[in-house]
Amino acid sequence: MNHALETRFVALLLAPLMVVMLLFFLLPAGSIIWTSLHGAKLDPSTYLDLLTSALFHKVLTTTLVIGIQATLVTLVVGYAIAMHLARLSPRHRAVMMIFVMLPFWTSILVKSFAFTIVLGDAGLVNRAIAFVFGNKEPIQMLFNRTGVLLGMLNFLLPFMVLPILSNLMAQDPALARAAQTMGAGPLRIFLRITLPLSLPGVLSGVLMCLSLAIGSYITPALLGGRTDMMLANLVDFYTRQTLDWPAASAIAVILLVITGTIVALLTRVRGGQAEVL
Amino acid sequence: MTQDTKGTGTNGLNRRSLLIGASVALAAPLVITGRARADTTLTVTCWGGDYRAGVERCFAKPFTEATGIAVRLVDNADLARMKAQVESGRVEWDVFDSVGPQITAGAKDNLWEPVDTKIVDRSDLFAPGGPTYVGTYMFAGGLAFDPKRTPADKAPADFAAFWDVKTYPGRRGLRPRISETLEMALIASGVEPSKLYPLDVERGFAALDKIKPHIKKWIETTPQTVTLVTANELDFTYSYISRVRPAEIGGASIAISTKQTLNSLEYLAVPKGTPNREAAMRYVNFVLKPDRQTAFAEMLFFSPNSKAGLAAASPAARQYMPDLKNPANAVVNDEWWSDNYAKLQKRFTEWLLI
Repeated sequence: MNHALETRFVALLLAPLMVVMLLFFLLPAGSIIWTSLHGAKLDPSTYLDLLTSALFHKVLTTTLVIGIQATLVTLVVGYAIAMHLARLSPRHRAVMMIFVMLPFWTSILVKSFAFTIVLGDAGLVNRAIAFVFGNKEPIQMLFNRTGVLLGMLNFLLPFMVLPILSNLMAQDPALARAAQTMGAGPLRIFLRITLPLSLPGVLSGVLMCLSLAIGSYITPALLGGRTDMMLANLVDFYTRQTLDWPAASAIAVILLVITGTIVALLTRVRGGQAEVL
Repeated sequence: MTQDTKGTGTNGLNRRSLLIGASVALAAPLVITGRARADTTLTVTCWGGDYRAGVERCFAKPFTEATGIAVRLVDNADLARMKAQVESGRVEWDVFDSVGPQITAGAKDNLWEPVDTKIVDRSDLFAPGGPTYVGTYMFAGGLAFDPKRTPADKAPADFAAFWDVKTYPGRRGLRPRISETLEMALIASGVEPSKLYPLDVERGFAALDKIKPHIKKWIETTPQTVTLVTANELDFTYSYISRVRPAEIGGASIAISTKQTLNSLEYLAVPKGTPNREAAMRYVNFVLKPDRQTAFAEMLFFSPNSKAGLAAASPAARQYMPDLKNPANAVVNDEWWSDNYAKLQKRFTEWLLI
């Protein structure tokens, strides 16, 4: 009796969310799948065409490669930042967190345009390097893979730092002290205790960044070179330039399946391990 | 029906117009209807920034004053959203303002109403457009550079010079769009601007292969064509007089060569199933009036599509309007592109990725 009431109560609480999901996610997603199959004709030719399209293969590969590269770069930088933040006093940490969160609060379009000024041939970074090291040739950091990865690092960092940081802070400091009294050095403590314990945080950060990176659109368009086209840019190309909506929808469905798989893995990690966020 | 200026229902009586008609009839006693059709608000698409200000001042406001029909401008309208509106039968934009490839793609997809020749007078135009769309003005693309870094005699002034990387060393930018780019490549390879069409696609791609290693950025957004030169990221790029001149006047160190230009038409089209079809046609006709064409061209450095409008433009403004009688200048043929754009743009995008 009690249990039934509880279920009904939970269902009532979830109802608004269900309506929102239905209206703004399931229905549009359904209509995209419908369009990708040429509506009522249920014609899978678009998918078959994509399988043999050199353009699609190329862009799919670029998307996965950029996604993995961006995630790895973000992991290395993000882990270092999280380690540093975890060791700060709460007051200092609160201040430093603002710097981590700033990119999260700024429009990605504005940031991408601003990167032109920061990373360009005559940009702040190149001028600083020229001033310190006196080299004449500017380092190419814009309109190539480096530009895309730096842009994505800036955008993804909070999504990596937050799960790792909360994990590191949840670790019992007594563990490290115990290891120290047993004679372990800092490197051994990190490799044998801190790192293995933080893996759930790392994994959820990695999966989150990977699914976000794979769906990027503005960053490769504004900061990348001609070979840095990603799936979202291809969707845009078919939607707006050629009005080939079945092709655009089919690519969107494939993108959804890829990120959906990643998110499914993410919930696995969360379910199997301690609460991360 | 088309002469009706006071009623609410025009052609194509459907549930929507019936509902609007009914509600207007119910509300009529409450509203003092001093002017004809004061209930109509036309929604017209435009491109933001200075362009929006120009449309507002030269077309929208005077049109409202002359007819009592309010005009609402919306920015960043794209064809995909227009198509979604027409296909779902909920048309919110009454007049669609866009470039050749988009307008002809829309015509192929059957998105536009036929031009109402009883309302729209096209007798005075250089390029009248097609059965479902009307040419409004020309915009000219040419080669932009920073006169401070590269003196005008050291910057490539025509497309052959742009392709000549030995005589004119520098970082170059082009658009990742096949129309205009293919024309430019063909002219650079020696094709007469007046004998471009039908385009020799293979020859064009061969010319593009030559310039490809020297292009630093394929510029996605039009504003970036200006900012990348002023930010010292590019030395020479394809851009538009209507973008470069305002930046130059605003104090930026940028200039554009008018020695050789590619001229494209901008069009207006009225989407199928709009509840304001007749008012929209009247707006299109208003835009074509010579005095409006002159006013718009003087403000934004476009070239009027109206012959009388061009004749009336001041010498100062005409200085920046490309002379179509000059054999170096070419006019982009949108009819040709309407059959070839989708296929060639796909090939071009693949070519860019290799």
